[in-house]
Amino acid sequence: MPEPARLHYQDDLDNLEAHALGGLDLVIASLDRTLEAVEHQDIELSELVIADDDRIDGRYLEVHQEILTLLATQAPVATDLRLISALLHVMHSIERMGDQCVNISKVIPLTGHEAPVHEEMIEKILMMGRQARSMLSQAKKAFQGRDVELARDLVRQDDLIDDLNKECFQLAVQVGEDQDTREWAMTMMLVARAIERIGDNAVDIGEQVAFVVTGLFREFEDASHPATAGG
Amino acid sequence: MPETTTDTSVSGENQTVTPELTATAEQAKTKKRDAARVDHVATRVQVEDVNLYYGNFHAVQGVTMTIEPNQVTALIGSSGCGKTTVLRCLNRMHELTPNARVEGKVLLDDHDIYAPDIDPVEVRRLVGMVFQAPNPFPTMSVYENVAAGLTLNRKGISKSQKDEIVERSLRGAHLWEEVKDRLDRPGSGLSGGQQQRLCIARAIAVEPQVVLMDEPCSALDPIATLAIEDLIEDLKTRYTIVIVTHNMQQAARASDVTAFFNLEATGKPGHLVEMGPTQKMFTTPEKKETEDYVSGRFG
Repeated sequence: MPEPARLHYQDDLDNLEAHALGGLDLVIASLDRTLEAVEHQDIELSELVIADDDRIDGRYLEVHQEILTLLATQAPVATDLRLISALLHVMHSIERMGDQCVNISKVIPLTGHEAPVHEEMIEKILMMGRQARSMLSQAKKAFQGRDVELARDLVRQDDLIDDLNKECFQLAVQVGEDQDTREWAMTMMLVARAIERIGDNAVDIGEQVAFVVTGLFREFEDASHPATAGG
Repeated sequence: MPETTTDTSVSGENQTVTPELTATAEQAKTKKRDAARVDHVATRVQVEDVNLYYGNFHAVQGVTMTIEPNQVTALIGSSGCGKTTVLRCLNRMHELTPNARVEGKVLLDDHDIYAPDIDPVEVRRLVGMVFQAPNPFPTMSVYENVAAGLTLNRKGISKSQKDEIVERSLRGAHLWEEVKDRLDRPGSGLSGGQQQRLCIARAIAVEPQVVLMDEPCSALDPIATLAIEDLIEDLKTRYTIVIVTHNMQQAARASDVTAFFNLEATGKPGHLVEMGPTQKMFTTPEKKETEDYVSGRFG
């Protein structure tokens, strides 16, 4: 057997992947705080989430620079090239998910000091958030393990979020005549929408897992052509 | 980089993507563009179960491959894997080495170049070769270097015909503008990159069908290398090109098809591991052996 070569390059690739996927941990932490802020109408905590998003944006820029350096200096090909391309997509998804936490945090003050909370709706939104958090952990595990089946399972997990989102919508429609409650419900639909997008981003990461492993990029679910997707 | 919550755009992140279709369309476009650039349909080379020997040493085992016309095919692999030996058997140069022999068939558009009635000199006219180190005839002028093959192959050719072919060949080798005012100066006085292009001009002056290149840029600086790679891209509109290179980025840049050779262990014969479109070989190779080589994990 030939001696292994390019050991430093392999170290660089491993570090790049760990650094990029570490971004998911930052998002998980941000999502945890966001959900707590939603649950308790905690404006101070929501401001912390907004301020702390700089860390996620910073991680995005760092990984982006590391990727450019590797492309320029190491001319990666084959699986290495697919991995680097995938990590660029993953980092973009991470940055977007961080932004969704910011979006949620920005609307929390709009609900007012003593908002007319609809318990069933808030519980469903928190369930959506916990489901999204679980998906982020699963996406990271699938990427690290190059586990396509686990990645593909994210679609099933995402369906649960989508169902809860629809239920929230029905609750918002039927929330009643009170002006303040209706405003609160509309604001909560923005929160639900942001969480729903986080779920979609987690699925996007799963698709990148399949790309790294197989070399083929296919959307697990195609919103425009649901019958033909899933390949 | 936060966005506003009023952004309800769906299309931004859920747009329909059919990358396979896109890729196919892109490949079709590339093919069409390449087809449009073919000035002369060159010859297909088919290698059928070729085994190559140096005396008792079995150098290359059971190679079967088709080299398509008007394409650049790169042969890559670690030292000693037999890629240069395979290249040299495509114009019967392998047999010039003492005790070397060939088993199997090499067909140029269905004609076996190893058939008993075939003249090896005519084979080498049809299948030209450019070597690793530029080797212009040192005592000959630029003009004479290009015309050397004509003098041997086309006796009785007129001066004006010769002038025309020399100019056309030098233009074809991207060298005319640089040497047109010093055609009578020694070819050895040119720079390394110019000398290699002079050798390419000499090779194409006899109107071959196939041009073989054995690490044609290994002795050149990066700028001269890129000039040769540009030239190779143009040459494929008239010729079938086969290039042996140790530089994987060159194979990736300059070839349409890549063939990877390897050997199981020192002393074992080299063999063809995998051959396919260069884009595929460098993004999603079929074999782990290929993957390890192109990504520099060994070699």
